[in-house]
Amino acid sequence: MSVSLIQCPACQAWLLEGVFSQTQMSPCPACGVRLQVEVFPALFHSRSIGRSSETIIVEGESSCFYHPQKKAVVPCQGCGRFLCALCDCELNGQHFCPACLDAGKNRGKIKSLENQRTLYDSIALSLAIYPLLIFYFTLVTAPMSLYVALRYWKAPRSIVRRTKIRFVAAIILALLQIGGWCALFVTLAIHHF
Amino acid sequence: MAEKEYQRLTAMTGVAFVSRSSLWLGKDHLLSIDSNGYAETYKRFYFRDIQEITFMATRRRFIWNWFLGAPAAVFLALLLGSLPYKGSAGPNSNLGEIVLFGFLTAICVLPFLINNLLGPTCICHLRTAVQTEVLSSLNRLRRARKTLNRIRPFIAAAQGALSPEEIPARMRAAILSPAEATTATGASPVPPPATDRPDAPPVLS
Repeated sequence: MSVSLIQCPACQAWLLEGVFSQTQMSPCPACGVRLQVEVFPALFHSRSIGRSSETIIVEGESSCFYHPQKKAVVPCQGCGRFLCALCDCELNGQHFCPACLDAGKNRGKIKSLENQRTLYDSIALSLAIYPLLIFYFTLVTAPMSLYVALRYWKAPRSIVRRTKIRFVAAIILALLQIGGWCALFVTLAIHHF
Repeated sequence: MAEKEYQRLTAMTGVAFVSRSSLWLGKDHLLSIDSNGYAETYKRFYFRDIQEITFMATRRRFIWNWFLGAPAAVFLALLLGSLPYKGSAGPNSNLGEIVLFGFLTAICVLPFLINNLLGPTCICHLRTAVQTEVLSSLNRLRRARKTLNRIRPFIAAAQGALSPEEIPARMRAAILSPAEATTATGASPVPPPATDRPDAPPVLS
């Protein structure tokens, strides 16, 4: 069992008792800052040691795709290649090879690996709204907003619930602005000629 | 209707267009979202991995109270001073000043009230075996406790429960000798005493 003790976030003193899982805040014995520390059983769980792959002893045994001299223990659920214990990456009960895991992350196919998303709907809407403060900018930003909204219409939005209302609003505003500019240019052209 | 994958635990907090955070409850994990408005960064904390959640009281509310309360008091005094009184030239003689100071007072008083209605401030640290993260969306004690009460059953379901009396004994066991630890907790022996190791942490007496 390798238990790491709990430190006060303010003074880094080790806390041994008095502040754990209380309903109210208690002062740190060292610095007096008020703390509420909720401890969970995982703190006392022993850290599991990583598995090591076994070398093939019997000839003809299935071997790892990446390490031919190591014994295969599981097939990759992405590509079907045989993997040794070292190459087996378990994720939410599924087994993947490092290559599939990397590909899944890069292509956004494994949602639980995603750690960043660009909010194109917010970008499109901002391009449609904020330049209105200095109206002349909309000559450039309205087509940009329209392009972003249409180009990324199917792109994944925020990982938490989000509708396409921003895209719709951006398209409507951009079209209105483009329409306004067109009307202005037509009027000017009629007056000029 | 399909069940939502995430349920909101906290609303977005922070400064718009700089860094805003929110916390969401997933099936088997907490999702912390940091956003600048145009991109989101996700951090997942699986219930089975959460070792500790700490709330530390801060003085941020007190500081904001001074920062907002002092100008609010000054503007309120100026507002009261500009109000018409008996013998003044007319009821609307200081209308411009009244509007100006009323507006400035409102600008300070409103956030002052919100700051106090939201309750005491805190910093929340969440710890797993390999990281300690600050959950910046849990910056008010009331909200933090409410969130903790909401996620506690999920963590208990993933890890089991631990009574408050059990924790100090287990803590002590981690730094005592194997024989003492067995006597103290009745549990299986722990590794050699941490105090003998050169890299052992300091222990409070």
